[in-house]
Amino acid sequence: MNNKKVSVLAKQHRAGWIYLMPATLLLAVMSFWPMVNAFLMSLKTGSSANMQWNNPIINNYLRMQQDKLFIRSIGNTFLYLIIQVPIMLVVAMLLAQLLNNKDLRFKGLFRTCVFLPCATSLVSYSLIFKSMFATNGLINALLVNIGILKEPMNFLGVPSTAKVVIILALLWRWTGYNMVFFLAGLQGIDYGVYEAAKIDGASSWQIFWDITVPLLMPTIVMTGIMSINGTLQLFDESVNLTNGGPANSTITMSHYIYNASFGTGTKNFGYAAAMSFVIFIMVAVLSAISMKAGDKRD
Amino acid sequence: MKKKILSAVLSAAMVASMLVGCGAQPAATQEAAADTKAEASTDAAAPAASSEGGNKLTVFAWDPNFNIPALEAAAADYKANGHDDFELEIIVQSGSSDVESAVTLAGSSGDYSNLPDIVLFQDHWIQKYHRDYPDAFVSLEGADVNWSDFGAEKISYSTIDGQHYGMPVDNGTAIFAYRTDILAECGYTMADVTGITWDRFTEIGEEVYAKTGKHLLSMDGDGNDLIYLMLQAEGESQWKDGVPTLVGNPKVVSICEKIVDMAKKNVLYLANDWSDYTDQTIIGDMVAGVCNGNWIIPTMEQVADNSGKWEITTMPTLDGHEGYASNGGSSLYITANCKNTDLAKDFLAKTFGSSSQTYDESLLKGGVIGCYIPAGQSDVYQQGVDFFNGQAIYSTIVEMGGHVPTIEQSDYHYTLRTYMAAAIINARDGADLMTELQAAEDQTKFEIGG
Repeated sequence: MNNKKVSVLAKQHRAGWIYLMPATLLLAVMSFWPMVNAFLMSLKTGSSANMQWNNPIINNYLRMQQDKLFIRSIGNTFLYLIIQVPIMLVVAMLLAQLLNNKDLRFKGLFRTCVFLPCATSLVSYSLIFKSMFATNGLINALLVNIGILKEPMNFLGVPSTAKVVIILALLWRWTGYNMVFFLAGLQGIDYGVYEAAKIDGASSWQIFWDITVPLLMPTIVMTGIMSINGTLQLFDESVNLTNGGPANSTITMSHYIYNASFGTGTKNFGYAAAMSFVIFIMVAVLSAISMKAGDKRD
Repeated sequence: MKKKILSAVLSAAMVASMLVGCGAQPAATQEAAADTKAEASTDAAAPAASSEGGNKLTVFAWDPNFNIPALEAAAADYKANGHDDFELEIIVQSGSSDVESAVTLAGSSGDYSNLPDIVLFQDHWIQKYHRDYPDAFVSLEGADVNWSDFGAEKISYSTIDGQHYGMPVDNGTAIFAYRTDILAECGYTMADVTGITWDRFTEIGEEVYAKTGKHLLSMDGDGNDLIYLMLQAEGESQWKDGVPTLVGNPKVVSICEKIVDMAKKNVLYLANDWSDYTDQTIIGDMVAGVCNGNWIIPTMEQVADNSGKWEITTMPTLDGHEGYASNGGSSLYITANCKNTDLAKDFLAKTFGSSSQTYDESLLKGGVIGCYIPAGQSDVYQQGVDFFNGQAIYSTIVEMGGHVPTIEQSDYHYTLRTYMAAAIINARDGADLMTELQAAEDQTKFEIGG
């Protein structure tokens, strides 16, 4: 082996490591170190000034199984996930399909309109939805005036409608965001493929289902994972729109964790850390499943 | 070469932005401090507490319409009475939870250096915070204060292991205010709603709702204080020896039944949250009655059109005696970071601890009603209030405050409140009340167990 060549290679390796170093160090200090500490904290109990090891050590994780409110918060979060994510992705894909039309005029304007909700802050849009759906808010005024409702309805005060409002808000906020990814994906598909399909007599439905969807699969998987991840960590809407109410019927996992650590709850940091680890595992598992399901290349 | 310069500029920009990012935090407190009318320091790096041996104290407090004017009045009083060079720097916080977070942060890290000399702290939280962070607060023992001059119920919150820690500022005595014009419309007077049972109250409420469309009472359904208020008026607690006792306490059960009944009959409106309660039900003029700590008065006064139409009285009870209760309120506590504890104790003792002057000014400027009983005799407290039809509500409230029964408190007051509020809402929506109360009890026990 040529000594000189090895040293050049080694030099290149070293350069590579040096380039990676700042980001790696920052990531380790800012992300991994807190994660390790959070895990250690999840094994402890007591006030944050004087935390003790649990006995048994996994007591926080065992307690969780008896925590009806935590189980309810998981239920709520998954309800949002199961209803909202599929609707959002389908609508986003259809919108992308519409806006990808070559003959459509004012494309830029429409695209901006659909994407615009993403530019609003989570807190402010939650508050706007809250005031819109208030008993004396816009929606009630509209529905009463056109005669659908006889008297204003307390949308956010009834568990079922409060959940619907949260899902509507999520759809409004995130559909445009996902549409942009689909648009980018669609633009990556060669127009010639569609022309060939049309010449062969394929219907629009067939084109969409047999050409667009398979070619968009990587984008669908990516938006799917991002949406699942985002929904599992849902926080702002639960806090600002309904504050978890009425009677904790709309509380999400992250909101409950916040309550257990900083909010109105009992400042139990160890237990809160344990719950965040459970969410972390859920996100990892769900992402793995959707990656596996979406990856049909081999 | 150009690229090298460019990359150097970019990395410099990155470093600079990181530094700015780190430096931004003290600036935020600075902004908050700048809001206050009191002198705010301009040095961003200044520690929150004052330095040793000076004549200056710092304090964290919230509510520029209520607590801040009271503190300003106290500072002016202290300065005018022989402490010319005294200075109180009030650092305004956006809410009580900011102060709680500051103590949590300091306590968790074991570094109290970012706390001010004195903090205003919520009564219901202080025992829990003192237990979690035993070093965070300094006892007021040795201060020249006659503690029997204060309402015993209020003092019971800030007394820990027999030692006084807090100097009361306000007074949480509950009022029950009624719209006399609406009562008159239905043929009732204030005497008809004073010293009545909740059943009678519900009957009147049904009539009021049928005739005027107004609810006779409203409450935040999320943080339902009504349960606590009604129970205290009975002299009863949801707690027995530190354990939440709901299903096993007949009075708790019957109070909850009354609340659910009132909510179903539209006598009581349960708002979705706190701002819904204040903005929609009270300011939005949906109600003919308000029952809460007297700090709710400034909210009621925002509806200028209703001036002169309100009057206050005591609460209904289960058996019809006049009910007295108290809800909320806060006191001043000296923190572990105070290096001038003697000055701080003297300041508190000579202002909120013994000076009618401080209380008169607090009342005039901020509407703060103290629980210092001798202050209730001053002229300012005797004057009639136009908004309440000329009724001398301040002296009435101080007088009522003396009757509030002391009941067992708990560190988990707000936890239980949240779960009981959920139980009431579910029961209103048709669930079985006993099952719901059992669930609230279990969930609270669960949290205490952690």
